[in-house]
Amino acid sequence: MIPNRRAGSRARRWAGLAAALSLAVTGCGPGAAADPNTLTVSVWNLASTPEFQALFDAFEQANPGVTVKPVDIVAADYPEKVTTMLAGGDRTDVITMKNVTDYARHSSRGQLQDVTDLVEPLEPQGLQGLEAFESEGRYFAAPYRQDFWVLYYNKTLFQQAGVPAPENWTWAEYADAAKKLTTGSGGDKTFGAYHHVWRSVVQAIAAAQNDGDQLSGDYGFFTEQYTTALRMQQDGSVLDYGAITTQQADYRSTFERARTAMMPMGTWYTSSIIKAKREGDSQVDWAIAPLPQRAEGGEVATFGSPTAFAANRNADNSDLAREFVAFAAGEEGAKAITKVGVVPALRSEALTDAYFQLDGMAKDELSTAAFRPDHVALEMPVSKRSSAVDTILKEEHELIMVGEKSVADGIRDMGERVRTEAPE
Amino acid sequence: MTTTAPTSPPTAADHAARRRRRNRRAALVGWSFILPNFLGFALVTLVPVLAAAVLAFAEWDSYNPPRWVGLDNFTRMLADQNVRVALTNTLYYAAGHIPLTLVAALGLALVLNRRTRGVGFFRTAAFFPYVTSLVAVAVVWNALFDPNSGPVNQFLGALGVTDPPGWTTSTTWSMPAVILTSVWRDMGYYMVLYLAGLQAIPAEYHEAARVDGANRWQRFLHVTLPCLRPTTFFVLVMLTIQSFKVLDLIVVMTDGGPGRSTLVLAQLVYRVGIREGEFGYSSAISLLLFALVLVVTAAQFRLNQRRHIP
Repeated sequence: MIPNRRAGSRARRWAGLAAALSLAVTGCGPGAAADPNTLTVSVWNLASTPEFQALFDAFEQANPGVTVKPVDIVAADYPEKVTTMLAGGDRTDVITMKNVTDYARHSSRGQLQDVTDLVEPLEPQGLQGLEAFESEGRYFAAPYRQDFWVLYYNKTLFQQAGVPAPENWTWAEYADAAKKLTTGSGGDKTFGAYHHVWRSVVQAIAAAQNDGDQLSGDYGFFTEQYTTALRMQQDGSVLDYGAITTQQADYRSTFERARTAMMPMGTWYTSSIIKAKREGDSQVDWAIAPLPQRAEGGEVATFGSPTAFAANRNADNSDLAREFVAFAAGEEGAKAITKVGVVPALRSEALTDAYFQLDGMAKDELSTAAFRPDHVALEMPVSKRSSAVDTILKEEHELIMVGEKSVADGIRDMGERVRTEAPE
Repeated sequence: MTTTAPTSPPTAADHAARRRRRNRRAALVGWSFILPNFLGFALVTLVPVLAAAVLAFAEWDSYNPPRWVGLDNFTRMLADQNVRVALTNTLYYAAGHIPLTLVAALGLALVLNRRTRGVGFFRTAAFFPYVTSLVAVAVVWNALFDPNSGPVNQFLGALGVTDPPGWTTSTTWSMPAVILTSVWRDMGYYMVLYLAGLQAIPAEYHEAARVDGANRWQRFLHVTLPCLRPTTFFVLVMLTIQSFKVLDLIVVMTDGGPGRSTLVLAQLVYRVGIREGEFGYSSAISLLLFALVLVVTAAQFRLNQRRHIP
């Protein structure tokens, strides 16, 4: 019958349409229900950041039947990617807090679970770096790694130039030594020191050693450090700032190929240089020393930043996520990352000894002394304004370092811009 | 008693009903053809654009419910130095990128619109930058522009320039460096459009002009250029839109620096939104960018129409 056939074909057409629509809609919808024995963790550059795999292996071993599934993200895009993920209601169980500025943002938005009850028992055991994660007596992440800045140096190049090991140095002595350690020219030039482009190389060091506040808008305390950095650039004992940005120089390969004799850098670098040497990518005979200071004979002040794990408020497996956060910050986690040369946030003599007994580790006295600085300031104070202030300080830092602005003008503009663009 | 319905001949009303049904069916078929495309457009373009227009009047951290703030975001924008800097830089980029790309693309097309040996190779070579990965382009050009050891400055040195520019390490020269790179990258694409336009010009026009004694320049001015007008208009509109929303090249090449010398609006939208988490304010800035593109493009259409009227 004709009317029926027509009705049938119309129904089929609508069914097809509905199917297409539902396909399009479910394509964007949430995935299937999560497996209670699978823990998802957001990480960056999994292959070149050995601590993650070390922690996952240890956690799986301690919890038979559990599988950890890393969500690997490119390091440079990590903060933006995590912001977008969480905004979209992502259900990844554990979110790694790459720095405290991002942490402040996520915790203030209520995206992370309260883990105060997990953190508090760890504090008396020697968990460092906690103050950065405290907000009105509560914690929303637990630090598992606490890096701080030291001076990496190439012992072979020091011996060749007849320069003694960098013990109790001031910045003036450091600059003089860099000049002596600079040899060659053109493509074969070996620099006395390498300062990476990050603003912290100048600004966070100055803040830590002058008790300065990088959110204050008053940046006179940067002056001395900038003067040293620029003088070293002028006398050619460090690779030019402009050259580093245009050539996109990699600090790791610069040190590992012995193109620089010294390099101020965070302790996270130890694990990668150990790996590079083990895999035969580098022959550098290296060691660490405390960062040079403003004056001789005083206490050693440096800066650092903790890295932490947090449980996502929307986690698929909340219980497992909390278990992992506690595990990583606790002794077992600390042991696991110490084995790959990463400095754990949980500090004890036993762990420090284990760290220095690692294969490939620099074991001399100066290196172990460098591991015990007197003060470790936070790289950047935690506040809602941190991110905005950071952008301003970075832009003005660039202008000073490429010689577009004098130190005085740059410091004045930083202050003015922070006061007007990122007011308290 | 039984009654049977009278079988009367179809009335005008029946005809109209059938026509309506037929029309509805035709419309449905039409809709089903555009539906997949429209759904994609609606989900990933239309909805976000409308959401941005609404969010511009709110304060929103992307997680908690938005808080309405009226025109606050717009008044803040008026006083925001970053917006002023980014707007100026965007206009600067457009003012350099649009005419230079247009001229370069047209020049390339004229040179390569011949039947000589090897022209295919050169056409491919000119188009090649456009299909190359943008990140690779940015990284390589950055290295070429190295102020001390880069080939560009070495070449300038060989020409006798004693004080060559600092390119991407200088606030004065970073934007020209970015513009040059983007012109190099884009000219091949627009060249192809111009080549198509050139080949559509009937040979008789040129012959007639030649018979009338027009020289090469006169023929270009009075035959080639007017015949290319639709192509030029299309190229101009596409270039304008592309220029105003430039982001990727700048992010990789200079990241807006040194200082804020290459910070553009699209980058500011990204930075304020994704990095600083102020999605309301970032939406307001994106509306400014949208309005800018809309006004300029509408003006181009209007101008084009006016010229069409004899």
